[in-house]
Amino acid sequence: MSQDYDVLVVGGGVVGCAIARELSRFKVSAAVLEKEMDVGLGTSCRNSGVLHAGFNYAPGSLRAILDVKGNSMMDDLCRDLKVKIKRIGKLTVALDEEDEGTLQRLLEQGRANGVPGLEIIGKERMQAIQPGVEGFMALYSPTSSIISPYALTIGLAENALANGVNFHLGQQVVSVTPLAGKGWEVGTKSGERFTCAVLVNASGLFAADVCRMAGITEYSIYPCRGEYYVLDKRLDGTLRALIYPAPKKNAPGLGIHLTPTVDGNILIGPSAEYLNDPEDHSCTYDVMAELRREGKELLGEIRMTDYIRNFAGIRPKQTPPEVGGNKDFVIEDRKDAKGFVNLVGIESPGLTSAPAIAEMVRGMVEKHIPLLPDPAFNPVRPGSPFFFSELPADERAAMIAENPNYGEIICRCEKITKQEILDAINNPLGARTLVSIKYRARASMGRCQGGFCVPRITRILRDEFGWNPEDFLKRGGSSPMFVGNVRPKGGVSR
Amino acid sequence: MSTRELTCVVCPGGCTIVVDVDNDETPVVTRIQGNNCPRGEAWARQEVENPMRTIASSVPVRGGDFPLVSVRTLRPIPLTKIREVMEEIRTLSLEAPVEIGSVVLASPAGCDTEVVATRRVKAAAPCAGA
Amino acid sequence: MNVKTLETTKRDVVVIGGGPAGLAAAIAAKEAGCGDVLLIERDRILGGILNQCIHDGFGLHTFKEALSGPEYAARYIDRFHELGIEAMEETIVLSLTSDRVVEVSTRGTLRRIRAGAVILAMGCRERTRGAISIPGNRPSGVYTAGAAQNFMNLENIMVGRKVCILGSGDIGLIMARRMTLEGASVEAVFEILPYSSGLPRNIQQCLNDYDIPLFLNTTVTEIVGKGRLEGIRVASVGEDRAPIPDTERFIACDTLLLSVGLIPENELSRDAGVAMDPVTGGAVVNDSFMTSVDGIFACGNVLHVHDLVDWVSVEAAEAGKFAAGYVRSGREASSCRIPVRPGSGVRYTLPQSVSGERDCILSLRVAAPWRNRCIVVKSGEREVARKKEMRLHPAEMIRIPLKKEALSGCSSLEVTVE
Repeated sequence: MSQDYDVLVVGGGVVGCAIARELSRFKVSAAVLEKEMDVGLGTSCRNSGVLHAGFNYAPGSLRAILDVKGNSMMDDLCRDLKVKIKRIGKLTVALDEEDEGTLQRLLEQGRANGVPGLEIIGKERMQAIQPGVEGFMALYSPTSSIISPYALTIGLAENALANGVNFHLGQQVVSVTPLAGKGWEVGTKSGERFTCAVLVNASGLFAADVCRMAGITEYSIYPCRGEYYVLDKRLDGTLRALIYPAPKKNAPGLGIHLTPTVDGNILIGPSAEYLNDPEDHSCTYDVMAELRREGKELLGEIRMTDYIRNFAGIRPKQTPPEVGGNKDFVIEDRKDAKGFVNLVGIESPGLTSAPAIAEMVRGMVEKHIPLLPDPAFNPVRPGSPFFFSELPADERAAMIAENPNYGEIICRCEKITKQEILDAINNPLGARTLVSIKYRARASMGRCQGGFCVPRITRILRDEFGWNPEDFLKRGGSSPMFVGNVRPKGGVSR
Repeated sequence: MSTRELTCVVCPGGCTIVVDVDNDETPVVTRIQGNNCPRGEAWARQEVENPMRTIASSVPVRGGDFPLVSVRTLRPIPLTKIREVMEEIRTLSLEAPVEIGSVVLASPAGCDTEVVATRRVKAAAPCAGA
Repeated sequence: MNVKTLETTKRDVVVIGGGPAGLAAAIAAKEAGCGDVLLIERDRILGGILNQCIHDGFGLHTFKEALSGPEYAARYIDRFHELGIEAMEETIVLSLTSDRVVEVSTRGTLRRIRAGAVILAMGCRERTRGAISIPGNRPSGVYTAGAAQNFMNLENIMVGRKVCILGSGDIGLIMARRMTLEGASVEAVFEILPYSSGLPRNIQQCLNDYDIPLFLNTTVTEIVGKGRLEGIRVASVGEDRAPIPDTERFIACDTLLLSVGLIPENELSRDAGVAMDPVTGGAVVNDSFMTSVDGIFACGNVLHVHDLVDWVSVEAAEAGKFAAGYVRSGREASSCRIPVRPGSGVRYTLPQSVSGERDCILSLRVAAPWRNRCIVVKSGEREVARKKEMRLHPAEMIRIPLKKEALSGCSSLEVTVE
């Protein structure tokens, strides 16, 4: 027995969830198939969280058009979805003569792309924005911003869900077969079957694999890993804007830089290394040493005790390392496969472009099925973009008096309350892993890395939700936290 | 004949004591050197011929504010008996309340000691972990 | 409830932390005559880290008995309640100002407390995998040793079955034994230094007794596993503590415990502008245990990491006594400051200054293991105190008493190993 939908979106990353949310405006039945136990666990949660202004892309390219459009949509979107965004602006800094020419070229390119507010500024204004910044000249882009990429992904998914899109987590697509009449039959690893009129391939690192399942063989994905360091919040405030060096030709990325996060940390990275395995999220000795070296050069105040964590994200590149560079997005309504809307190589600026990509995809879906607006669509997601600890003391006191759970602190480093933990556990998508709680409530992302909160969260899940040791999964079925009890529950029976 | 080097634990001095041992199966000490006092010599002999240990473990408790009560042996037991004592401890189960010092197992594996509770566990609403 | 401004109450002595340091400090403050002592503890029970230390060896000096952690804690908790001292459990201090206002949060209540004196007794946290940048993936099955101890001893949860341990400090050694006794297989303990930082008694009773090998000069170079830990790569290290490439080998295991150091939890201290000592990771104090901020005292692991709880209790009692004195007199016991500096062979000394107006005890740690040396305290060329030690080890805190008479006329002190 298969589940039938008008539209199936394969891939629950920020792009897939943005598409789902866009489709939920209409009276269509839609579902997202996501192979992990939660949304956004691929590339979407593993990047710098930067919303790019759009001056780095060739005019007329999809990256240019969709990034600028997406960036302009973010204020409304974040307001509606209750996602924190900080429009901190960016300085792209010239360190030598070659860079000066690059900045001029970027300014013209940005203007051609319709990037608002771009200007070249000199040392004085640079110092006013970021005291102590290196360089004699910079391109200032006020619309460059930072956001939590997993908060955005979750926000999009939850709003799509509230508006009627189904999310099938833990469903890895293994077969895509055209249906005689119209549309597709999709089979998953667990043996489930789905059918749809239109299939949207938003599977990121696996886009080429899903293409091949449908008989489309011209694409290949070349995984390119970027490693990061997360720095302690002690340094919060030292970076007031994004500071990037002027880009050099043919680099696979934008180079190692420091990025402040919307929650007060600083990221060093990303590096760039081509791999075979699209899921090898390891961090390596040499790259970490390089990140430390570069980080210290960029920000002298960094101490050894400031490094609190490493992670890695993988870019779905379309060209092999010998070729390098950055190809444009592939977003196409396949002529040779009716009802197959294909997205390939959505790396940076995929995050910024996501809402605009969703609109473009909607336009393609519309060619196949009528999309009638759903008057019941509610763009607003309940909740707050802020963590409880970010609210003023008086407000907190009042909320605590009404709901005692707000007074009980579970994550000491990040000051996360029991109510926020409970909300994360009870998330509408039904994601039931430790990282799901982490990405929603921020617990375990502080300097003690879960040493204080994880035992307490364990106790809550066990005592209040009835979990047994084997139910505790870090990210999914293959990552159990524990192996059992020390002594049998309820004692030894005689 | 073999030689073992031990760090004495009788006092903070921590003398390095070198012991000559005959027959590693049932060790017999033939010579002791390096101790600064007779207590060290006695300890070294005991440590080689019949090492004594205290152990600590846990026993599940029903109806308490903790799922487990920590327990320990009051006096040292032979190292060779640890496995057997642990097996006996694993069969135990208690009801709250439990007082510190209460005997949960007398003469474990026939040794001259008791296993006592080391945490106070109050009777409480059922704790899901117990 | 309509709250316009946050309610602020006044208390004389506020103790932050209800572990062995906080308990001893609160008791001492009360016994020194301060009627209004409040202790704030974030866990649901008092006792701090002692609650999960079920092995014995605590209290040899204080009680002449080898107690387990919970028993040692119970002695102080009983005395604490006997004295009628108030405790706020399950309460976290969100902030501390330099004029001694704490903001505290607990179920149903957010409030501010203005303290006559504050005693910092927050203890320490464990150094994490992220802080030492172990390469590899981030599967489940990697725990700090203390967290695993918490799960096992307090939550009845077994974290794994085939265990490797990085770090030969006592916490790692204790957990090697604990997990073995509960049926896990501990494959090995790895230590990056050329010597173990654990007590010899623990090397024997936690490793040798169970044939668990200890590899010195070795570190973990990669954590392997996509979902759950599958194994680790280890390599020998040279004098620079960097891995030697050809020595790398793979060891299959499902659990890695990290016992790689303790970090005093001084976030609140920094909030309040307390001057810190980069070597101890804790506050700079004088012999009344007052920090650089008036009326803020510090003791226990938050001040410097201890190895014997008995000395935590002694130190905390001093801090409690002086905090009570501060509240009573409205000022510090003495403004005189004779700086104390670590010299050759000494990693740090504490307190970092003494008043010279009373007997006191210097705590110190040596920089390397030695046998048969003397700890010498000098003021210029004049010897102020000397103590012979048969066994000196960085992992074992050494204490040397200083007599008031010997300190007269001193302008500064230096402590060396001879």
